[in-house]
Parts: sequence; structure tokens; C-alpha cells
Amino acid sequence: MSLKKISIIGAGQAAAYAANEIRKHDKELGITIFNEENYLPYERPPLSKDSITNKKKYEELSFFSKEFYNSENIQFINKSVKKVDFTNKTLITNDAKLEPYDNLLITTGSKNKKLNFGVDQQDISDSILYLRNIEDSKRIKESINTHKTFAIIGGGFIGLEVASSIAQLGKKAYVIEMGQQLMGRVIPTQIAKLVSSYHEDKGNVILLETNIVSIELKNSVYKIELNNKSTLEVDFIIAGIGSKANTDLFENTSLNINNGIVTDEFCRTSEENVFAAGDVANFFHPFYNMQMRLESYQHAQNHGIAAAKNILGQNLPYMHIPWMWSDQFDLNLQLIGLCNDFDQEIQRGNNLEEGIIYFFIKQKKIMGACGIGKVGKVGRDIRLAGKILETKVDVDIDDIKNKEVKLSKLLKR
Amino acid sequence: MSEINEGWLEVSEEAGIEVEDIVRFDHDNKTYCIYRLEDGYYATDGLCTHETVHLEDGLVIDDEIECPMHQGIFKIKTGEAISPPACVDLKTYPVKVDNGKIFIKI
Ligand SMILES: Cc1cc2nc3c(=O)[nH]c(=O)nc-3n(C[C@H](O)[C@H](O)[C@H](O)COP(=O)(O)OP(=O)(O)OC[C@H]3O[C@@H](n4cnc5c(N)ncnc54)[C@H](O)[C@@H]3O)c2cc1C
Ligand code: FES
Repeated sequence: MSLKKISIIGAGQAAAYAANEIRKHDKELGITIFNEENYLPYERPPLSKDSITNKKKYEELSFFSKEFYNSENIQFINKSVKKVDFTNKTLITNDAKLEPYDNLLITTGSKNKKLNFGVDQQDISDSILYLRNIEDSKRIKESINTHKTFAIIGGGFIGLEVASSIAQLGKKAYVIEMGQQLMGRVIPTQIAKLVSSYHEDKGNVILLETNIVSIELKNSVYKIELNNKSTLEVDFIIAGIGSKANTDLFENTSLNINNGIVTDEFCRTSEENVFAAGDVANFFHPFYNMQMRLESYQHAQNHGIAAAKNILGQNLPYMHIPWMWSDQFDLNLQLIGLCNDFDQEIQRGNNLEEGIIYFFIKQKKIMGACGIGKVGKVGRDIRLAGKILETKVDVDIDDIKNKEVKLSKLLKR
Repeated sequence: MSEINEGWLEVSEEAGIEVEDIVRFDHDNKTYCIYRLEDGYYATDGLCTHETVHLEDGLVIDDEIECPMHQGIFKIKTGEAISPPACVDLKTYPVKVDNGKIFIKI
């Protein structure tokens, strides 16, 4: 098969790295990226953190410069794709233009779930901000500058990161979470509790097992009635209640969708010559022998690269061990592997200064690890946990518990 | 300090430093990392160029250093940033071993 051209829908992280990877191997192949944002592909993690707290400018977030894309002859079409016709291999853009494709890579990312308080409270629903892109982050930043107290609906990573930015700017956030702990069940309860008290020490309020009964907006103040019969008054509401794969475009098409675009380990979808990568893909993971969808920085990058290689016919299964981080205040939380399938949970380290990591072990093998500590303190051991896990070696629990034992030693046995 | 060591700063004794170990060296309000690789010692700036994080806590894999915070990766020998979010290179510095002691030239 000789390739002529590759079209990519969505100009995010997976797209940028896929394009870059294709160019490393093929200087001629046409690459066209459909970009619905007004920016070149950029990194999103700072949107909830450093860009809000003024540590990083929005202009500094691009992965690659304009000059890079020009010199590598990677073409952008600044339109969104409105329809895909898999039979005739054509894309239809928002200005109703037809764009034929040979090979298609879908990297449309994920989209935020939204709250809906009913038709008679449309103004309230409309006034709530969500965070996905640079424009959202700018609006949130502006709202923090001009208001004092905030309700953050949802105690997941993005909500907590925004709450941390709010506290760092001297304002106050009330985090409303309906679950029993922050950050959902993927994070060990002990770590969720540490994060909770850290926020409270910095002036935020964490409300667990809390639901909103009603919201009233009067004289620019939101009165939020909660299920525990208390009422909260805040100046502004931001919500982070989770996201889903951005697959609207493919409704009523033949593409196999199930919690994202279903792909195999080679990033191939159910349609011929159509690949998917990043947040949008529900991919087969050979190491775990199951389908999974991830929303994380490193995965988006590596999955984009893997898709590019497979588009070029290299037939390389993607099996990176899942890894993600969240930064709140001066804490860095990291999660590697899967932390929900274990027969032993082992703690390594006992203070945030030096880092605390929980290892999830099943039949003497590390399945996953989750840690939290002051910046830089958990990364090495989390990374090593990932490498040990990949080798499937049996580990000695005493070595894991004992911070004096270098985990790298376990690899060399 | 002997004459041939002029311009060089003493970091530490060599004893006890294993391959893939990192030694942090602070001098004049700046911080550096000295790495022992299979073929000798190398030095770079001690802080990641992405955020203010000490690379001393990172992981050396072959001749690369991975930042412990977001897994930005740098080539130890050249300082080149090869994996984001790290995109600005690290500075590198000459290192030598003399009489069982490690020296860096800043
Ligand atoms: C605020 C925030 C903070 C984050 N922080 C972290 C973190 O700390 N650590 C971590 O590991 N991960 C973090 N992430 C997750 C990480 O950024 C994502 O997993 C990653 O960006 C996914 O890359 P992607 O290429 O799959 O999708 P995206 O980068 O989201 O790109 C998708 C692109 O496709 C475009 N698009 C969608 N539909 C169409 C269409 N029909 N036509 C044209 N274009 C279209 C979208 O507008 C978007 O530009 C964060 C994400 C957000 C939003
Ligand atoms: S601080 Fe080093 S990669 Fe982010």
C-alpha cells in the first residue's frame, strides 16, 4: 500500500505528535490537520494551574512553533469537521466543503459533561464555567480576578486544580463533591484525605457526600442549597464534573463507538484506513488484555506517536503503562498502572516532604501505584513501579515498604 | 586545592557512587547534578527547565535523565530536552575525577 495523504481531525496533543512522528519517517506524505481552535496544538495541563496563577503565559503552551509546522509542511485547515462519510471517504467541514481523505486519524479529544438545572434556570446553567481550552481558562482566570468566593462543583482533578489556583491567588473555593472522597475511587482513600486536608489548610472548604438541591442567583450572589440543609453563598460557580469522549461527530455512522472510538492495539478503528488516538480512543491494551480509555497528557502523546507508526504500516502494538499526574499547590500526585485490582496495599514513605506511595500488589506482582508528595518526591519511585510492573517480577513486600531500599534494585534481579 | 584543579570545584568523594546515581551540588545559589553513567561522570544544571524541580530526584535511564515531576526527558551528555513537557535544554558542565574526588567546572 503506498500512502498518499493523511488527514487528522482535531488539532490537540495526539495530533501534533502523530504529525511530527509521520514526518520523522516520511518527508513527502501530505499531512492535513483540521483545527477548530484558534491556536496551534497546545498543552492543556497549565490551563487549570500555571496559566491561571500567572506562572505560564498562554502564548507559551504550543508543542511546536508555527515555523516548525511550516518547515515540515504540515498543513492546518482552520475549520471544524461536521460530518464524516466513511463510504465515500470524505469529510464535510463547517462551511459545507467536501474534503476527501485517504487515511484518517481521529484525535477529537474529550468534552466536558455539563450540568443542567432545567429550563427555568437556564441563566444559571449558562453562567457556570467549565474548563477544556484556552478560552475557558482565560474566562476562569478573569472570573477569579473579579470575584472572591467560588463554588467548584465536582472534586475531580480539574476541579481541585482550579480550587488550588483560586487559593493560591488569595481567594476561597468551596469544593462540592457528591462522592465519599475526592478524585473518585481510582485514588487511594488515604491520598484523597491528604489532599482534602491540604486544601482546607490553605483556606478552601471541601464538602463530601454533598449534593446541590437548588441554586438561586440574586444580586450577583449564588445561594446554593445543599442536601445537608445548609446554604452556601458564593460569587461564582465553576464545574468540573467529568468528561466523555468527543464522538458526537460519528453518531449515526458505522464507526464502532463504545465509551469512545473502539480501536485495537494498533489504533485501528472499525473502519478501514481510519485510526483514532488520545482521549477519544477506547483502545485495546495487550498488557492488561482489556479495552481502556485514558485522559492523560503522556498517553495522548504516546498514543498519537503509535497511531502515526501504525498508519505508516509499522505494526507496533501500543502498550504503554498508563501514567498521569495532578499538581495542586506544591504537591505532585502521580498514578501509574491500575490501582483497583489487588490483594495487598503497601505503603512506602510516611510524610509529604519525602512522599507517600501506595503500591497495589496482586500475587506478589505490582499492578499499580499512586503517590503524593512535595514536588519531585514521588516521581522516581512511581516511574520505577511502572518499570517493575512491566517486567512482571515478584516483589518482596519488605523491599517496597522500606524507603532505604532503592526500587531500581528490584529491576536488576 | 592543587594547582591542576584550578577553576574546578570539588563535589564529593567518588567512593560509594554507583552507576545511575545522581549527586546534587549547590554552589553560589545555583544547583547542579552530577551523574555517574557507565562511561564516566557528567554534569548538568540541577533544575528541570520546565518547572523548578530538582533533577536529583529524577531517574537515570541509560544516558537520559527523566524529571520526577512530569517525566520530561533530557540527554545527560548534551542537555538536550527530548521529551515534553520539557522543551528547553539543560546546560552541561565538564566533570573530572582526580584522586578519588569528583570535580565540576562551572
Ligand atoms: C484543564 C486540563 C488540565 C489537564 N491536566 C492534566 C494533567 O495535569 N496531567 C495529565 O496527565 N493530563 C492532564 N490533562 C489531560 C490532557 O491534557 C489530555 O489528556 C490531552 O490533551 C488529550 O489530548 P488529545 O489530543 O486526545 O485531545 P485534545 O488535546 O483535547 O485535542 C482535541 C482537539 O480536537 C478538536 N476537535 C474536536 N472535535 C473536532 C472537530 N469535529 N473538528 C475539528 N476539531 C475538533 C478540539 O477542539 C481539540 O482542539 C488535562 C486536561 C485539561 C482539559
Ligand atoms: S518539572 Fe520537569 S517535566 Fe515538568
